[in-house]
Amino acid sequence: MRFHTLGACALALAVAVASISLPADAQGPIRIGASLSLTGTYAKLGKNQHEGYQLCIKDLNAKGGLLGRKLDLVVYDDQSMPATAVRLYEKLITEDKVDAVMGPYSSPVTEASANVTEKYKKVMVAPLAATTSIFKKTPRRQYIFMVISPAEVYLEGLVDMAARRGLKTVAVVNEDTLFSKAAAAGAVELAKKKGMQVVYTEAYPKGNTDFSALLTKVKAANPDVIAAATYFDDAVALTRQMKELNVNPKMYGVTVGGDLPEFYDTLKQNAEYIYGATQWEHTLPYPGNKEFFEAYKKDFNHEPSYHSAAGYAGCLIYAEAVKRAGSLEADRVREQLLKLEMKTMFGEYKVDQDGFQIAHKMVTFQWHGDKKVTVWPDELAQGKARFPTPAWNQR
Amino acid sequence: MTVAITPEMIGQVVISGVLSGALYAMVALGLALIFGVMRVINIAHGSLLMLGAYVTYFLYSQTGMNPFLTVPIAMAALFVVGVVLQRTLVFRVVDAPELSSLLLTFGISIALVNLAQNAFTSDLRAVEYITGSWLVGGLALSKPRVIAFAFAAAVTALAFLFLKSTRLGKAIRATSQSREVAMVCGVNVARIHLLTFGLASALAAGGGALLAVIVAIQPEMGGVWTFKSFLVIVLGGAGNYPGALLGGLLLGLVEQLASLFLTTQLSEVVAYVLLVLVLLVRPAGLLGGRQT
Repeated sequence: MRFHTLGACALALAVAVASISLPADAQGPIRIGASLSLTGTYAKLGKNQHEGYQLCIKDLNAKGGLLGRKLDLVVYDDQSMPATAVRLYEKLITEDKVDAVMGPYSSPVTEASANVTEKYKKVMVAPLAATTSIFKKTPRRQYIFMVISPAEVYLEGLVDMAARRGLKTVAVVNEDTLFSKAAAAGAVELAKKKGMQVVYTEAYPKGNTDFSALLTKVKAANPDVIAAATYFDDAVALTRQMKELNVNPKMYGVTVGGDLPEFYDTLKQNAEYIYGATQWEHTLPYPGNKEFFEAYKKDFNHEPSYHSAAGYAGCLIYAEAVKRAGSLEADRVREQLLKLEMKTMFGEYKVDQDGFQIAHKMVTFQWHGDKKVTVWPDELAQGKARFPTPAWNQR
Repeated sequence: MTVAITPEMIGQVVISGVLSGALYAMVALGLALIFGVMRVINIAHGSLLMLGAYVTYFLYSQTGMNPFLTVPIAMAALFVVGVVLQRTLVFRVVDAPELSSLLLTFGISIALVNLAQNAFTSDLRAVEYITGSWLVGGLALSKPRVIAFAFAAAVTALAFLFLKSTRLGKAIRATSQSREVAMVCGVNVARIHLLTFGLASALAAGGGALLAVIVAIQPEMGGVWTFKSFLVIVLGGAGNYPGALLGGLLLGLVEQLASLFLTTQLSEVVAYVLLVLVLLVRPAGLLGGRQT
């Protein structure tokens, strides 16, 4: 009899313990939805972002999840098309009823999707949108948050270094597309602010392959600095033709494309001395960066790009805000995201009242041999800039 | 923020214009041949050019072969591809309304681009073989572009020689003038069509192989070349072979001079405005249409 009482008691205890942990289990995992560009034009970059999200969820779960619940990622493929992404965010929010959403890949897709997340008052940390106008809107978008630096500051390092070395004149050329235009406008503005003279500007159409006439004019303007807001193939073509036409600025920098390993593979020693800008490098001394790099390589068998890193960091930032809010409720998470100052493996995070990123720093590197060496800002520099860039025929 | 234009600058861009003009002429001659002989507008022309560029890229990167020596190989390979395309697909639309051939070649073009994306990925490739320039009296002559020009000029000259002086070449021109009469005179028209499509594909591939040394290679690089070739043959007179030569040089010069005096963005506008003007004044093109 006594034995039985003990048994009953143990049973009661077990039931009690189970019922204490019940609320968490009953709610199930927190489901985070995202539409990503897994096929189409942006496939390569969208996949990297996806892997960043996946690794972040895995790491968070290994540390016990969020608010005592596990995390689950629900991802659909928007084929790099804004209209498809809009449909998919609708579906995620209204049909799948996910608990939270994360941003898609690229500015155009984010711009379109933000209308949906605003409509349903869903917080969206958008880690791969760099266009200022997405965040600076009237009426203000309340629930969207930026992680990477805006296009306008891509050439900041180049211009700043040039001004500090006493260079006086700059030519700014750019591809005539949304991002490159903003990067070029930012460079022009900054150069003027630093007292430099902008002696030449010209935009060229997307897909342009022959820069002889443009560079002939740039050469005639004889600038100390050439700042080019480019993607990859135009950066390569410009560089080759600068050599052909013997255009010799003291500094020459590009924006996107210049940071890819393919840039050096393509141009070989002609890539040397060229400056480029990047949102992130695995060599930067940010907390947890090395661990992220190693874990990512192990899980996905290739090196992360900044898209992977921004995805990972965006997810960490969202999780931190939820932790501080102690809730998934959009307005409380939003409040925390607006206040949050955080340093991740991607660098600083802090936004203004529009959710616009103001703390994350771009770094400027220079190609030294086949290595990118961070040369700006000073506090992150790994080496000294090789200055001035020697003339093509003196290399 | 503009600069004063000096005569030296004009000289520099005229050189650039002539250098690219020869490439335009060579590629457009292929399109003109197909149109002249079969009345087919080949939208896939640029895609064949793209395949030629990949032949050069792979030969160069895998075997280290001099990329200029790969030009005949790329041309031969795409000659075969062209013959196969003609034999299996294009022959079906030769006598059909022109819209059918447009649709078919458009489809072939999409298929080739997507096949290339799957097989080669969309990563940009480049053949970094020769860079820099020769300086002649203050003017810079880009080494890769000058060599590409020489090859393009030589290939184009050979193609003209072939059309002018060989029996097969004469048969092609005869077919282009009147298929029925050619047939009556004993020309095997189906065989001439095969040869024409093969030859045109080879010309596109040669252009691609030469471009490989100049610009980045990717599966969608051909589209703009289809348009440019089309512009060239309409300027020169559709189906008129010397017209392709004139049109190519004209387009190269107009693009460069417009870029210099206006902006790079406006140079395309100017090229198409020129097209409209030519069509208004001389609807058959500068040298007139379809005679050989």
